[in-house]
Amino acid sequence: MVDSPEVLVIGGGSTGCGIARDLAMRGLGVTLVEKGNLTNGTTGRMHGLLHSGGRYAVSDQASAKECIEENRVLRDIASHCVEMTDGLFVQRPEDSDEYFEEKLQGCRECDIPVTVLSAEEARTKEPALAGDVERAISVPDGAIDPFRLCVANAVSAEQHGARIETHAEVTDVLLEDGAVVGCEVRHDSGSGKRVHRTPGTTEEIRADYVVNATGAWAGQIGELAGVDIEVRPSKGAMVIMNVRQVDTVINRCRPKGDADIIVPHETTAILGTTDEEVDDPEEYPEERWEVDMMIEELSKLVPILRESRTIRSFWGVRPLYEPPGTGTTDPTDITRDFFLLDHEERDGLAGMTSIVGGKFTTYRMMAERIADHVCEQFGITADCRTADEPLPGSEDFEVLQDHMEAFGLRSPIGRRSTQRLGSRAEEVLTTDDPNPVVCECEAVTRAEIQDAIDQSGTDLNAVRIRTRASMGNCQGGLCCHRMANELHPEHEEPTVRTALDELYQERWKGQRHALWGEQLSQAMLNHVLHGTTMNRDRDPARHETVNFDAFDAGAPDSGRREEPDGD
Amino acid sequence: MTKDSETDHDHTDHTTDRTDRVATAEATVPPSSERTTDLRPGADNCYKCTACDTSCPVAEVDDEFPGPKFQGPEQWRLKRSEDTDIDESITSCSNCMRCDSACPSGVPLSQMHNTARGEYVEGMSKLSREYVRNRILANYGRLARIGSRVPRLTNFVMSNRVTKWFNERLLGIASEREFPAFATQTFGEWYEERGGPQIESEDRRIAYFHGDYSNFNTPEVAKALVRVFEAFGYEVVVPEQRCSGTPMFANGMLEDARRAAEFNVDTLSALVEEGYDVVCSCTSCSMALRQEYPELFDFEGTEQVAAHTYEALEYLRLHEDLDGALSESEVDGEHPELAYHAPCHARNQGLHRQALELFRELDGVAIEDVGDSCSGISGTYGWKSEKYDYSMEIAEEMFEHMEDADGTTGLTECPTCAMQMEHGTGYEIDHPLEVIEKAVV
Amino acid sequence: MAISEDVVVIGGGLAGSVGALSAARTGASVRLISHKESTLRHASGLIDVLGYPNGGEQPVVNPFDALDELPTGHPYSVVGASGVRDGLALFDEITGDLYVGGHTDRNALVPTQQGTVKPTARYPRSMAAGLASDDREMLLVGFESLSDFDAPLAADHLEAAGVPFESRGVTVRFPADLRADAKLTRFATALERARTVRALAETIEPHLDGAERVGVPALLGEDDAAAVRADLESRLGVSVFELPGGPPSLPGVRLADRLFEALDSAGVHVSTGVPVVGYEAEEDRITSVLVDRGSHAPHPYHAREFVLATGGLVGKGIDSDRNGVREPIFDCHVPHPEDRYDWFLDEAFGDHPFARFGVIPDDELRPVDNQGDPEFENLRAAGSVLGGANIAAEKSGSGISLATGTLAGRLTREAI
Repeated sequence: MVDSPEVLVIGGGSTGCGIARDLAMRGLGVTLVEKGNLTNGTTGRMHGLLHSGGRYAVSDQASAKECIEENRVLRDIASHCVEMTDGLFVQRPEDSDEYFEEKLQGCRECDIPVTVLSAEEARTKEPALAGDVERAISVPDGAIDPFRLCVANAVSAEQHGARIETHAEVTDVLLEDGAVVGCEVRHDSGSGKRVHRTPGTTEEIRADYVVNATGAWAGQIGELAGVDIEVRPSKGAMVIMNVRQVDTVINRCRPKGDADIIVPHETTAILGTTDEEVDDPEEYPEERWEVDMMIEELSKLVPILRESRTIRSFWGVRPLYEPPGTGTTDPTDITRDFFLLDHEERDGLAGMTSIVGGKFTTYRMMAERIADHVCEQFGITADCRTADEPLPGSEDFEVLQDHMEAFGLRSPIGRRSTQRLGSRAEEVLTTDDPNPVVCECEAVTRAEIQDAIDQSGTDLNAVRIRTRASMGNCQGGLCCHRMANELHPEHEEPTVRTALDELYQERWKGQRHALWGEQLSQAMLNHVLHGTTMNRDRDPARHETVNFDAFDAGAPDSGRREEPDGD
Repeated sequence: MTKDSETDHDHTDHTTDRTDRVATAEATVPPSSERTTDLRPGADNCYKCTACDTSCPVAEVDDEFPGPKFQGPEQWRLKRSEDTDIDESITSCSNCMRCDSACPSGVPLSQMHNTARGEYVEGMSKLSREYVRNRILANYGRLARIGSRVPRLTNFVMSNRVTKWFNERLLGIASEREFPAFATQTFGEWYEERGGPQIESEDRRIAYFHGDYSNFNTPEVAKALVRVFEAFGYEVVVPEQRCSGTPMFANGMLEDARRAAEFNVDTLSALVEEGYDVVCSCTSCSMALRQEYPELFDFEGTEQVAAHTYEALEYLRLHEDLDGALSESEVDGEHPELAYHAPCHARNQGLHRQALELFRELDGVAIEDVGDSCSGISGTYGWKSEKYDYSMEIAEEMFEHMEDADGTTGLTECPTCAMQMEHGTGYEIDHPLEVIEKAVV
Repeated sequence: MAISEDVVVIGGGLAGSVGALSAARTGASVRLISHKESTLRHASGLIDVLGYPNGGEQPVVNPFDALDELPTGHPYSVVGASGVRDGLALFDEITGDLYVGGHTDRNALVPTQQGTVKPTARYPRSMAAGLASDDREMLLVGFESLSDFDAPLAADHLEAAGVPFESRGVTVRFPADLRADAKLTRFATALERARTVRALAETIEPHLDGAERVGVPALLGEDDAAAVRADLESRLGVSVFELPGGPPSLPGVRLADRLFEALDSAGVHVSTGVPVVGYEAEEDRITSVLVDRGSHAPHPYHAREFVLATGGLVGKGIDSDRNGVREPIFDCHVPHPEDRYDWFLDEAFGDHPFARFGVIPDDELRPVDNQGDPEFENLRAAGSVLGGANIAAEKSGSGISLATGTLAGRLTREAI
């Protein structure tokens, strides 16, 4: 028995970060490794719904009850990540009354507060709803920013002594005497904060216990450890609108189906989703029909969507799991419940547990169960405190909201900054230097960018998920280079250039699914700005040497010293 | 006019206490569900080209104003339904609408500004000096109705130094400005005295929307319109009317504007039904009827009035051969050199070059464009003491071009641009209709 | 009463403006209709003719040597080298001493705010002292609150590109107390006060340290740019130049203003604020375009010849939705892949098919239908509305606008 066990958590999504925080708060030594950014996997690729439980109230009441319970907890401990929008289950003429009643009944059974709204009441609450909707059930759905939540968990874990390593991919699971004793990881740019162009290194991280919280990737870690974990990844498409057409979560009130939810998320609205099993959580088709279906189907609830601008689409993979032999064929029928797989019990491999299945809203509860399980291994009895202690940024947030016009920022810049930073606003935004807005679409100032850089090195995508900079309508066209400028002089020019190229390419990736109408015009403007005006595509600094002498050195009257050679 | 704009302006004296939401007698304000228009979808059109900011005359001289893009699509995009905090700088927008004419992508910028300003003003203390002053300026017509009953007395009082001191100190109205003199006979009185329309016609009939200014202050412009249209064989009726609302939009007094607009739409739509087209002599009035009413209100007949509203020269060019008539005419030497300024509000209506095109073909007149800058007064903007210097700095380019012009007569369609032109140069300022009157009547 | 001219040009950017000027040369009456302000006002102000033909990575020294290498269907293959020269000649005539570059056929390499250099054929005089083939030591000066330009980073970037001179950068506080979100025009206007220029010179002077030229972002005055720069140069005793960037871009604004002056003095009628939304035709000739005058029913503007210079995807001369791409006024044929997932490549700087979207001209610049026949006898197209060129990759946008605008104007006046 070890006195102060070291635990290695694999996976920097909400579950992994939640586990790291929980264990660190209980006094255990924790290292978390993540192969990309925090939220790199499924957490960064969801629609941002804070479930009331209403969606599961008919099909899976156990999950529904957990959701409403955790919904209440997160409003409290993660108030700066949560927006209580409320949600509506909207019935259209073609949707059955019977299901509507079942939904209502189910919610009541699960202790989810509900109100039935007439069509008129629903449209008063949400004016964008179609004219022919029949009625709606109002539930306490909310919106939650998964990036901010995940980062806050990691920051809290660090504050409790944990080591968080991003861009650190597990390349091997270390086994000794039939037990897991740690992992070998490859640091993309050395350990610590990521700095582009720093050579990669390999490290053996030894641990008394390993938690595999890699979700849809759990099978791959399992393979390294020689155990079989049959995760059944299921992809879902999400389409991001440029503005919030709605301020309430809009669900279609009908049995499970594709394209049945609109979540007002930060400055956007996210349309979701599909549910299709895929073989590989990283290689799967992202298809046009999914985008088209999302717009067409959800326009039936909110007609303005049909003519509105989408800025990108993305796909996430659910880490669905069912115990061997269950044999469900349709992924929509696979349970959303989570499973704790103790590999000692299950496979005779000591020292490692995997967590699979589950859903974002209940990440904390899952983390608590895992942490309990880990503590049990070592006979530790410390209590879980994650349901009571606010995350960094969510302390005294209510007080702070009254003062958000401070920091010399105009409204709504001050408001948006405070909504993102929560109780950290003062610490981050107070500066004697000029604090210009770097990302105008999302109202992100230099001070906030600098704070994010302090946290995450040269990884501008990590800056992006912390601040939302470059996530607005120009998709970084007007601000990617400004963000990169903020890396200098702390980081050198070639590093800055590489970081910029990476962010620009990442922004392009999702936009490809929105290239028509306004966003195609935007893409062309960005292309011309970065190509024609900046010549970033054929930057001589990245290509072969240019023979400068051969070019025009100025007119004869230009005042320079050398005479031009004639033509 | 080399005012030190970097340091001399006091940016704080017009700060209002926004938390002080004093309940007042504004009982007519409708519940918020009727009031707030969701303009977030308008942000879809923006691709951040920033043409609006580059065209903004205020942002060029006053960095307290963060530009039309921020106060328009950016601000709206960042809004959640419950957010009501509008940055105070919205009151620095002069509503010149240059951003509208700049935006290549159809973002409803001025509508966004007008709506946000309305929301901001709603949260303002109704007892603040700024609110009271803005309300007075916005409701010029109401005061004019009273003042013009005793024009000589009013003119004497308003030009009095004591009055100016009082206005400046108590209300924040720039003492540098001369209040426009009231005519001894209003246009309405003249029109009534002459017995209304002199021509009756079934197929050529217009309803003249003269606005307050040409009624009370420059009736010669209004008379010129009547005579010119009658010369082309039109029946000209002059319906009862209220202010177009332009100064009210610019000051966020949307409820005042709503009342005025409702009255005007009601009256004018009835005339449109009878086959009258609505003709304005002021480009801001035509802008209000054509663009701002449909953007901000939905009274019955609003669209119909908009579809039948024209500016006077525009109307004659489209429906008559005004170009031909002028190219065959000449005027005597009274208007030798005209320094023409195109009002900003003419731009969005495609009208800002029409006077130049017309008068270049008119013998006896030379016309010179004084550049495409804003005149800086923008209705009531340049009347505010804290904006006066900015207003003059915006106008600098126009004044310079006017000084460089050959003559000493200015020309413009907009009455407040005319005030500014006169204020900065001492030139006499005419309206194009007065020139046309001399040529064709 | 009909509004009627010999020629109507639709679009007020570079192509439309030179098209109108070229058409008006022999006294034809010309009306230019520009809905809103053109994309020229946020372009860099540089006049690129051809920098990188056929996807090359090495800039070409002489664009005229490379014109032949371009594929058929490229707008330059329609106008030929003489067309490019005609366009540049007209441009030089219009811009006079505002621009430099006419002394040679060779491209100049102009440093940008990003610290890259880019090949261009004509550049504003305000950028002349910055050329990368000039070996004088360079100091770049940025301002704290302008986040687009980081002078020390740009200086390092130039050195990474192997420029033949030493370059340093410094970030200073702008010597007028402007808010952090002051617009670029506010900086420019502030510098039109001698006092601010003096203060700026005093701010820069301690950092000179032997530099023979000083580069600042393009904000040295709006209306009075030459005087501001001259004043700063005489106070510092070294050459001063501007670096292109944007949007916003004051060199673009200055060029647009100069073009407007030229249009005005050539007697071209300019209508702005009103969009062309349709047309009327008799057989294969357009008789009028329909102009949407705000709240009114569209009004016909008659002419004998028409020039389409409405821009590309950015200028909205080319429009698209989920199902296709079109030219919205005349519905001219715009070839494009049926599946919108074939409109782009996966690399951000790939040779995207969408960058080439536009109408296809015949050898008289008339847009053709899918059979290759002219859509109309009397409609010519110029500028970015033409397809077939990836202007961002080639650095050819302005040159194409000048060459095709000038030729469209000439063919138009010859047709009358």
